[in-house]
Amino acid sequence: MPAQMTELPFLEHIAGRFNLPVPEFLTAEAGAAQIRDAIKRWGGKALVKPDVLSGRRGKAGAVTMVTDYVEAQRQLKQVQSLEINGHLCRTAYLTQYIPAEMEVYSAITYDSRYLAPSMTLSLAGGVEIEDVADDQKITFQIDVFKGLGAYQVSEAIAKLGCPANLVSLLSRSLVDLWDTFISTGMRMCEVNPWRITPDGKPYACDFKAVFDEANFKFRNLGFNLPEYPANMTIFEEEMASWNASSYRGQAHASELGGELILPILFGGGASTIIIETLVQCGGSPIILSDFGGNPPYERMFGTAKICFEHNLKKAKLLLILGGNANNTLIDVTFKAIADALEAYVYEYGAISTPVIVGRGGPHLVKGILIMRDTLEALGLPYVIFGPETPVTQVAEYAAKLVKVWPETGDVKDES
Amino acid sequence: MRAKKLSDLLKAGDRVAVSNITGREAAVVTAASQKYCGNIVGGWALGRQGQKLDVPHGRPIPVFSNVEELTNSLPKEQWPNKIVVYSPPQAVYAEVKEIVEHRNGTIETIFIITEHVSIEVTAKIAQICSQANIDVVGCNSLGVINVHDAVRVGSVGGDSPGENFRPGCATIISNSGNMVNTMASYLLSAGLGTSYGISTGKDMLILMPLKNILELARDDESTRIITVYCEPGGLYEKDALQMLRSGKQKYPKPIIAYVTGEVLEKFDLSLGHAGAVVEGKETTATAKMKLFDEYFEIDPFDPGIKYEKTPETIKALSRGIRIKTLHHLPAAAALICDVVDVKRDFRPSEPLVLNPWFVDYKGYGKHLPSEQILHRGKTPEPYWSQIKLLSKAVGATPTPRNMRNASHASSNDGREPRIYGYSLEKEMAGGSFAESLILAWTGQRPRDFEAQLIEKCLIASLTNGPGTISAQGAKLSTSAGNAPNTAMIAALACMGDIHGGNGRRAVEYLLQAFQDTRLSDPYDPDHGLDLQKIANKQADQFSKRRTAAKEAGTDYERIPCLGHPVFNGQPVNYDPREQVIFNFLKEKKLCNVFLDFYHLLAHQLKEIDIAKNVWAVNIDAAIASVVLGNCWKMLEEKRITVRRVCDIAFMVFALGRVAGAGGEFLDHQDFGMPMDMRIPVDECVALNKPVDRRTSPRD
Repeated sequence: MPAQMTELPFLEHIAGRFNLPVPEFLTAEAGAAQIRDAIKRWGGKALVKPDVLSGRRGKAGAVTMVTDYVEAQRQLKQVQSLEINGHLCRTAYLTQYIPAEMEVYSAITYDSRYLAPSMTLSLAGGVEIEDVADDQKITFQIDVFKGLGAYQVSEAIAKLGCPANLVSLLSRSLVDLWDTFISTGMRMCEVNPWRITPDGKPYACDFKAVFDEANFKFRNLGFNLPEYPANMTIFEEEMASWNASSYRGQAHASELGGELILPILFGGGASTIIIETLVQCGGSPIILSDFGGNPPYERMFGTAKICFEHNLKKAKLLLILGGNANNTLIDVTFKAIADALEAYVYEYGAISTPVIVGRGGPHLVKGILIMRDTLEALGLPYVIFGPETPVTQVAEYAAKLVKVWPETGDVKDES
Repeated sequence: MRAKKLSDLLKAGDRVAVSNITGREAAVVTAASQKYCGNIVGGWALGRQGQKLDVPHGRPIPVFSNVEELTNSLPKEQWPNKIVVYSPPQAVYAEVKEIVEHRNGTIETIFIITEHVSIEVTAKIAQICSQANIDVVGCNSLGVINVHDAVRVGSVGGDSPGENFRPGCATIISNSGNMVNTMASYLLSAGLGTSYGISTGKDMLILMPLKNILELARDDESTRIITVYCEPGGLYEKDALQMLRSGKQKYPKPIIAYVTGEVLEKFDLSLGHAGAVVEGKETTATAKMKLFDEYFEIDPFDPGIKYEKTPETIKALSRGIRIKTLHHLPAAAALICDVVDVKRDFRPSEPLVLNPWFVDYKGYGKHLPSEQILHRGKTPEPYWSQIKLLSKAVGATPTPRNMRNASHASSNDGREPRIYGYSLEKEMAGGSFAESLILAWTGQRPRDFEAQLIEKCLIASLTNGPGTISAQGAKLSTSAGNAPNTAMIAALACMGDIHGGNGRRAVEYLLQAFQDTRLSDPYDPDHGLDLQKIANKQADQFSKRRTAAKEAGTDYERIPCLGHPVFNGQPVNYDPREQVIFNFLKEKKLCNVFLDFYHLLAHQLKEIDIAKNVWAVNIDAAIASVVLGNCWKMLEEKRITVRRVCDIAFMVFALGRVAGAGGEFLDHQDFGMPMDMRIPVDECVALNKPVDRRTSPRD
């Protein structure tokens, strides 16, 4: 999950720093008197919004207008407990209602067409930009060195047919938005909508951003992004924390909800195509995993241990598969996986799960012999492939095999 | 774009320089590239100027402090025209800026291998390089290979690019570096080699987009077919396909496209690509598939369909086809070759099949449908030879790991100390010292008689009189006024290959003598081995070795542990300590094949006149035979290393003797005099005359 920013931390930390005009706001912790005074000051209208890592909050019915503090408090409590588009809310907050005659859409991102930043604008704000017709939106390139000039942006707004009296103030705010974008290491930010008051003043009334974690400016934000309650499983949380504990080797895993194959996979590209093959062929993978990047023994052992503890019991087949590695040492990773498998059996008792292995890379034969000897010692059925068998073919075979594999109780040991 | 054809990206004769050349990955990959094609003229790394990067069997690569120094130092004809960037992500922008500033008009292409370069930096690189008329491949690229010219940059093809990349007509373009190698290997089975392999990288901004590469491939004579692997994110494919459609002439080369990421879209999981929010729905895998299918005007490849050579199929396949899974690549390529008359490069190799190296269904096989049952296939070289070699090797070959805070030998969870998982308290309650000792040294409990044998070896090692080197060491140390631990260490320090270490050599000797036997239990009298034959063979080998050495006037390797300086006066000699062990085994109706072999060998050496009498099999041989006997099964099952068994043989002696040395210390301390081990001056022999008392003319 990339680092993201929603409206509330934007209001709290960013908007003021970059002089972006925003509505006043109060967090859910505000006292009754504060809320009462604010609503009065705001002309008797306020919006209660959830702080959640999801768009389309309005469509989900999670943004409500309130006119008195009793209703505001009730809504603040209610909204906090909502789940919106599968995402849990972190908190709720109250913003000033901005009366508007016009809404404007704006977004800045890096654009594959220009290989440079670009800004997209539309006067049809407040709706999904993908639903806006091409002739009602405009995208233009921004010089990454020179930045966005007020003249450039005002020309674009004018092209969209913006009334002349609104161009100047809006342009200035959009230039400030660019400054926000480039100064904080964002890779995308969106204000949707800017609400333009009858007197022509723009307010950024919703905001979201995705940061580029490789950009040093993001690391120097000066505040920590809030942690959102994630709809993670215990396994995913444990893996995320384990992944963050070291930079050596990847330990990415997400649950897919499958119930047949536990895939221990290596390499970003290979992992994806293996999972796709498993899904296409009905292999019902339990997790998506990518454990490449030449993990040392301890790292791989820990990764495999977590995967086994959470998933091996329900798995009908264990698939250990990766392409032809350039750097990852197969003997080290396989020894770690084999030891984790042994440790699992020691801890939870014997298993009879079939194991399919496929790999290529440095110290391959030593790694494969270690794995075979361990599977033999544990009495597990196995099929082991080398790098000349395509990973997708191995995945296809695993998916077919798991569907016909007999239940343990149906088979007497005939080996 | 500066390049006008694919070979402008990389060709024979290009001069490549590498940034951060001494970095962990850069050094390894650069050396492999240099070995493959020798196109690297130099590299630079801060603070490493003057060093050289070693290349196995090749000329070392000079290292400079920066690109400016590199160009100043190299003759003009060696100035690089291609740069490979391996700098850390934070340094990449400054590095590229410097390259642009010091390009001297020669630099054409920069390949950025570094991962995790920020998108802002990537955009800046795109701009400054575009203004400087320099092409960029990357960031996060694996590199590029020109197979016909046998040159590469980056690590495309790994350590042996020739394995998967045979010269041919397919250009491979891939977001994933690893898939360049994979697709090249798959194409071989369709009879297609590779002309170019290009890893574009898969960051949010791809600085050498698909459109540009397809333009370069359009007129490339070596390319007749193109394969594309792409992931979600960006509008690169849309732009490329628009370009193909918009040309006045039909794009002349068929494309096989594989788009990944469709299934994961359903799970809302991001792939390598950052994805783009405002670029629209056409950045998704599903949309990219649709775009390709619309361009090809044919459904994705289906191996179950028999494609007819109709005008429609020819028209469609001359544009190309999409594959739904990667291992359909050879079949789809073969289809295009057949229908569109693309000439194959060579006879198709073995088709891609499931080829298991090892299979064991453990009794479940009978319950599986026959079509799902695989049989062991043919393991290709060099792997088969490696398997044979590793299988034949005696003992374990453990995989190294960090052992700073880890131990198999001991543990203590705060409640109970353990030896290899066995409770120390229970060891104290029920076992013997020798039994626990072998557990601590091997991880496995010995059988009762094995523990008794070890105990006898320890007792035998306690002493062989005060004149032994190790006892002397303890006494010398005591005489100097040292504490017991120092005296015991002195005894240990006086052990070596000659005194005490012979057991280690004996284990090595016995292992080579018995390596080809099918011995299962060395203590079983029904072992089934012809020990006399083995002894005769070893005696003959020794005889030949000794004769040859004597004729040549050189020294030769002795058989360890035969003969004794004390027990040597009889026609048949015995070391009484060894005899205790031998007789114990006899009483127990057991044998030790190694000890029996030693006796037979001693007799055989007398028989063939190597020895005048039958040498004693000394206690070191007995210890080695006992230790090897105890460890034989563990060695066979590769649970223990040969080195450990050799060391244990030494350690049994050392432990016994150091305990004996403790006895010498106590005795010497109580009854000896300080410095009594000193040799009086009048007993010392000077072998040189005093130099300063010479009366020669030179003085």
